[in-house]
Amino acid sequence: MNLKIINTWYLSSFIISIIVLIPILTVFSSFFEDTTNYFEILKETFFLEYIFNSITLLLGVLFLTFILGVGSAYIVSFYEFPGANFFKWALILSFAIPPYIYAYSLFAFFENYGTAFTILKFLFGDGEYNKHIPKFSGMFGLILSLSFSLFAYVYILARSSFLYQSQNLIELGKNLGFSKFKSFYSIILPAARPAIVAGLSLVAMETLAEFGAVDFFSINTLTTGIYNAWIAFDDLAFANRISFFLLLFIFILFLTENLSRKKAKFHLETKGGFKKREKIKLQGSKSIFAIIFCTLLFFLSFVFPLSQMLYWTIKFPENLFDLNIIDLLMNTLYLVSLSSLVLIFFALLSNYGNRVSNKKILNILSTLSISGYAIPGVILAIAFITFVAWFDDNFIKSMGFLSIKKVFIGSVLGLVIVYFVRFYSLAFNGIKSGYEKMNIAVDESAYLLGYSKTKTFFNIHIPYLRNSLLFVVILISLEIIRELPITLILRPFNFETFATTAYISASEDLLEAAAVPALFLILIATFFILLTSKYILRERDE
Amino acid sequence: MNNNFFEVKNVDFNVGGKIKVRNVSFSIEKEGDIICLLGPSGIGKTTILRTIAGLENLKSGSIELNGKILSSEKVRVEPEDRNISLAFQENSLFPHYTVEKNILLGAERNKDKKDKKISFKEIIELLNISPILKKYPHQISAGESQRASLARSLIVQPDLLLLDEPLSNVDQSFKEEIQVSLKKILNKLKISTIIVTHDSYEAFYLGSKCGIILNEELKQFDDPYKVYHFPNSIEVVNFLNRGVLIPAEVTSPKSLENEDLGTITGNFINPFPIGSKVKLLIQPEDLQHDDKSNLQLEVVDRKFRGTSFIYTLKTLSNLLIPVFVHSHHIHQHEIEEKFGIKRPIHIDHIVCF
Repeated sequence: MNLKIINTWYLSSFIISIIVLIPILTVFSSFFEDTTNYFEILKETFFLEYIFNSITLLLGVLFLTFILGVGSAYIVSFYEFPGANFFKWALILSFAIPPYIYAYSLFAFFENYGTAFTILKFLFGDGEYNKHIPKFSGMFGLILSLSFSLFAYVYILARSSFLYQSQNLIELGKNLGFSKFKSFYSIILPAARPAIVAGLSLVAMETLAEFGAVDFFSINTLTTGIYNAWIAFDDLAFANRISFFLLLFIFILFLTENLSRKKAKFHLETKGGFKKREKIKLQGSKSIFAIIFCTLLFFLSFVFPLSQMLYWTIKFPENLFDLNIIDLLMNTLYLVSLSSLVLIFFALLSNYGNRVSNKKILNILSTLSISGYAIPGVILAIAFITFVAWFDDNFIKSMGFLSIKKVFIGSVLGLVIVYFVRFYSLAFNGIKSGYEKMNIAVDESAYLLGYSKTKTFFNIHIPYLRNSLLFVVILISLEIIRELPITLILRPFNFETFATTAYISASEDLLEAAAVPALFLILIATFFILLTSKYILRERDE
Repeated sequence: MNNNFFEVKNVDFNVGGKIKVRNVSFSIEKEGDIICLLGPSGIGKTTILRTIAGLENLKSGSIELNGKILSSEKVRVEPEDRNISLAFQENSLFPHYTVEKNILLGAERNKDKKDKKISFKEIIELLNISPILKKYPHQISAGESQRASLARSLIVQPDLLLLDEPLSNVDQSFKEEIQVSLKKILNKLKISTIIVTHDSYEAFYLGSKCGIILNEELKQFDDPYKVYHFPNSIEVVNFLNRGVLIPAEVTSPKSLENEDLGTITGNFINPFPIGSKVKLLIQPEDLQHDDKSNLQLEVVDRKFRGTSFIYTLKTLSNLLIPVFVHSHHIHQHEIEEKFGIKRPIHIDHIVCF
């Protein structure tokens, strides 16, 4: 391997790692800076509330997503009932509903004179329905919103773990005379534990990073604390200090998830002894229970928010015409295509570098560079602004150059850089998993057939990775379309996406107006999910 | 002046800086010869092939092909410029192409070659690949994948072909047939080949020379007959596992004496002074069965090998000795029965250590 190529890999991996490390280092450095007195006041009063609320929210969401995710995964993986094949993929459609849109729907449906009231009035005429309609606001509403939008993480991972459980394992339980419940409790669940923990860790990270829904329900958590410290008190250093605590939280989750993933390897190892499992056909009341459970979950997680947005769009068509859909679509496409290009370019470069050079240091740099996905968007955006301001003040201006703040803050370039940090792991891991399926002997065979490294890359790797690349582009698109805090904080003036438009309308108490962009967001996201469902739900025999 | 077609000179074969086999030298005298490297798993046989192919670096010694240095401390020809084919033990087919396309990619390399000795059709017929041509690598068995990989390597018509356990995944019933086809193709194409295997029968059949790699060294490199009958060290004897070593004393230039078997005559491969205490190699075909003999030993085990039985006999001093008997022999002996050994014992070539 010639030296020049190795240097290119090191350099690119090094640059990627540095870009990802900047927000983390910025957060840490905030401890050495002065903040306003507000920090002292907050430390005495609200800070504990931030932590208490964050923990309550986390526990509530983890409990509900565990029940919903594992329950639904168990039913569709082990049993055959009418609609089982439909629910298999229908349950992942909840990914199309960001928690903040779910929150708008939940609130609006049950509020005084809301949709529930309208339905009751339509069905039964005028009446005092408001006092009988439960109100889903505050912490409970927030937990529900997050759980219904995030349970699919647990569902997908638990389901794939259940699917990969060999029939041998189930037969072993029968052979030992276990009842169905004991088999589930003693064999199936422990074998799937690492996958479930991994799913719950993802849910936890998303919950701690959630901004839109938390802000909508006016619950003070660490995330909204960070945003408010920046927007209301203009105190970046304080925002970064709260970020530090949140990062500590997330770091622990990150470790848990990584450890459980490593263990998952052993649990899922079925090489040579895998026997495809036959599903058990449900009859009578059991079958009805399974249908009701899955239908209810599908309805609550997807149909309900979609219908609410659709209802408002139809009811207030003027909002549709007030909005420049084409502009929003073009902005979204612009961000998606630019970010995808940059992400895929670097992720391919780094993966290829790891593959051909097989150096430990490159592996370490790669691991470091994917840590961005664990950092909430709010932290990334604010840390990025802090870093640019610091760099501008201490280097650019002092050297007599014009300020570079405008180049990076409130610009598409800044947005793409922070998206890069946040979503690099998606691109890197997507391509990596594609590469992992291709034995290194394949590359070596190509060299021995006279292919140069470049020709091997373009003629062998790229055609082989085609599907993985497509999958990565779709995943990135899905994330960017739904992304709120980074876009909200770093977008150029007058540059809106469906997510920011919905958020701005909702924060101005114009939920009906938020419905149109939210509906478009859901529809586009659904389209992308349907495109990826084949990969997400991949089964062993497919 | 060195006239060998291929030569490995004093090479330390290493992976990632860790030496696997030290100070190795061997050669292929003329184009078209086949050599086999035998050794237990993990000993470094694959490393040798990978280094010859240019996939691993070399820190000392040199590798030459057709008078041209491919690897040395200073020279390194890239794998793609060597015209050496390596058929990997594991699946190395391009996963997104059909078997047919995989093989045709190999053919692309020699499309400008005027002297094409074998066609695509001939190769797929010889290796019986036709039924899987349209399939993708993930749709075929490990054995089929090895044959397809072999076909791709062969169609290149390389200057040197390297085969890493080429038939390890092929079904036993099919293995012999493929071995015959492979030998036929290699001889027809006159492709110099190095085959790595742990199957000594395969090595003895395919190779005109065999190398035995043990304990980080190339212990012996010789004709298969000599490797089998004249192993040059106790390690080679133990590796081939085709005989036992029993204590004996040299009594004359053509005889020795064992406490249980008595006098044994024959020709010493290596001379020993009279009176030397040695370890004598007894291979299954060295002793002959004779029911009427007065040397009767107890049968402790009997292995049926199709064409033969290998009896394991226990001597008075508890030595266990293997004896070959044709399976059509008039009668069989059960365990714990007595088994006669023909006397006087004469072994054509006496191997002692």
